[in-house]
Amino acid sequence: MGLLRAVFTPLLVSMAALSAGAARANEPALKVVASFSIIEDFANQIGGDRIALTSIVGPDSDTHMYEPTPADVKAVAQADIVLINGLMFEGFLARLIEASGSDAEIITLTDNAEILQDPQGGHYHFIGDKAVFHAAPEDPHAWQSVSNAQVYVSNIAQAFCAADTAGCSAYEANQQRYSATLAALDDDIREQLSALPESRRTAVVAHHAFRYFENAYGLTFLAPQGMSTESEASAANVAGLIDDLQAQQVSAVFAENISSSRLVEQIATEAELPMGGTLYSDALSGAAGPAPTYEAMMRYNVATLMSALTPP
Amino acid sequence: MKKRILARSIAALAVAIGSTSAYAHDEGATEWRLFVADQASPTVSVIDATEKALIDTYELSGPAALHRTSSGQTVFAVQGSQGRVSAINTGIAFHDHGDHADIDVDAPERLDIELTGERPAHFVEQQGYIAQWFDGEDEARFFTENSVLEGQPEIRTANIEAAHHGVAVPYQHHAVVSIANPDDASQRPIGARVVDFEGNHVGEDVACPGLHGSAGSGSLYALACQTGLLIISTQDGTPEIEHLAYPASLPEGSASTLLGGKGLQYFIGNFGPDRLVIIDPSQGEEGFQLVQLPTRRVHFATDPIRPRFAYVFTEDGQLHKVDVLSGELTQSLRLTGPYSMDGHWNDPRPRIAVAGDNIVVTDPAAEKLHFVDANSFEEVDEMPLEGKPFNIVAVGGSGVSHHD
Ligand SMILES: [Zn+2]
Ligand SMILES: [Zn+2]
Repeated sequence: MGLLRAVFTPLLVSMAALSAGAARANEPALKVVASFSIIEDFANQIGGDRIALTSIVGPDSDTHMYEPTPADVKAVAQADIVLINGLMFEGFLARLIEASGSDAEIITLTDNAEILQDPQGGHYHFIGDKAVFHAAPEDPHAWQSVSNAQVYVSNIAQAFCAADTAGCSAYEANQQRYSATLAALDDDIREQLSALPESRRTAVVAHHAFRYFENAYGLTFLAPQGMSTESEASAANVAGLIDDLQAQQVSAVFAENISSSRLVEQIATEAELPMGGTLYSDALSGAAGPAPTYEAMMRYNVATLMSALTPP
Repeated sequence: MKKRILARSIAALAVAIGSTSAYAHDEGATEWRLFVADQASPTVSVIDATEKALIDTYELSGPAALHRTSSGQTVFAVQGSQGRVSAINTGIAFHDHGDHADIDVDAPERLDIELTGERPAHFVEQQGYIAQWFDGEDEARFFTENSVLEGQPEIRTANIEAAHHGVAVPYQHHAVVSIANPDDASQRPIGARVVDFEGNHVGEDVACPGLHGSAGSGSLYALACQTGLLIISTQDGTPEIEHLAYPASLPEGSASTLLGGKGLQYFIGNFGPDRLVIIDPSQGEEGFQLVQLPTRRVHFATDPIRPRFAYVFTEDGQLHKVDVLSGELTQSLRLTGPYSMDGHWNDPRPRIAVAGDNIVVTDPAAEKLHFVDANSFEEVDEMPLEGKPFNIVAVGGSGVSHHD
């Protein structure tokens, strides 16, 4: 992927059709900023062409490690609404907001969601071979259960309705339609995963992004951890993890789209476990990838899990 | 489980995020230290920026360019004319715990380590990896900050084919190195390539005629040349280079000194003697913005704490605040007498460092430091410093100091 990505996704603005009687012009009613790609998709599902949408952290990128750009600051400065995950997921947010001087509404989409406490008080991210601790007493990766995604979407619809009453019926209709899609998705995930026997329900991932998925759909994910915050993921830490793996009936090791696969590949090699493919954890893929929307992402993850975990 | 949507104002949220506290029994602590190199006598002074008191002075072999690491734990003094690089443990260390950082403060200490070689020049540090370039040698040296602090630098090298005034950017298993002009190595380099430490080239060479100046910002590193910037990102730990050309809309010119934003991912460079260019690589061609200065530029610096701002000092003795979003000089303040840019490039002239809420400017002619409040943009204090105080870096910050 080229790094010189255009941050703005400009929506068509027609200057021609502003007829006096029209209840809605073709000009977007709301300027919305989404903090990362998954929220961008949700906002798009609900807002459609009534909103001008900008996303800050792009596809396949790690939101925790993101450094905002001057263009992001300008987008936030001009926004009516900023949609964020919250639970300390967007580490760059305070800086970005301060620099923008914006008075936009900030909507925290995990409000009202079923939130898991993080027993470790946070999780590790891997930059190359370096482990970076992301402290968060509440696990921020709530979108990994579809029932929480329903809450995100409902929060978005309420926020859009409050800010653009003229568009409320459109937002609500979009929410109803998309909510049905999500309900079907949730059923589908449960049904597919129910085929896995107990002995084939444990896997290794690079970082603890799947505890909501675990909790909702009855799988177990292990991630390299137990290191002190100052250490890198050393050979000894990995050795400790590998001892655990023998005891826990792990069936496969998965890479993650937002980070280097070097560490998990090392674990797979040393534990003599197969690599099961790449899971989409904290970001969607680009438009040409297999997970350009939330629904596609969840389906792709389930298909990847099923193909690696189904008994031979 | 939370009960309602909290649609807070952005300002309120910023306050809530900014005031994240750790544990009740811990105390917040703030410490800033200035390291100032003297151009008249070869020394580095360590100054408590809050008390404006001299902590220590270290003798060097010659005038030094100073570089701090991103961790702030080490300052390197590159004495090009004497062929030496010295290292100082700043005594300030942070241990990041995600939602808060612990700060440890000890006395600064000159480390018992010295690199010697032919004309050490450009120094680059990224995430604890260091590249020291020697203009008179055909290999660049690489080591980690940790190994320096432990007193045993483990040096790796990468061959650069011909000695030249170039630059190397260090990564864990690779480096990006400049490519000497094949017709005349004393000219500016012609491009850059990725190498490993086993003597291999990785990928294609990338052209970058007249390469000079480099800086990191966020996950990107940039090298400046006559045609534009080379932007280096990493893919699975391996550096990849892309050329970002100056757009046709810019006037004739190029940057040869670059700085990177901290907290905001952007680059700022010189563009002729009386202009700066601000570059947001995420915006491609649209991401270039010129800043016109009233007179020629003496020095510029980015603000790591208020990331929207950078500062530039001009030869009329004024310090200016640059809004990197609008590209405008939003405030100006006369601090010193005039400093002409005529004369040798290395004549002592004012240099800028940001230490917490202070912008500190050296004034070699008046033998003092000026302290400017970054928020009010007014001079709040001065500190006399004998000699010709020239290059300056600041390290420090706020953290939690734990009490057991
Ligand atoms: Zn995460
Ligand atoms: Zn140079």
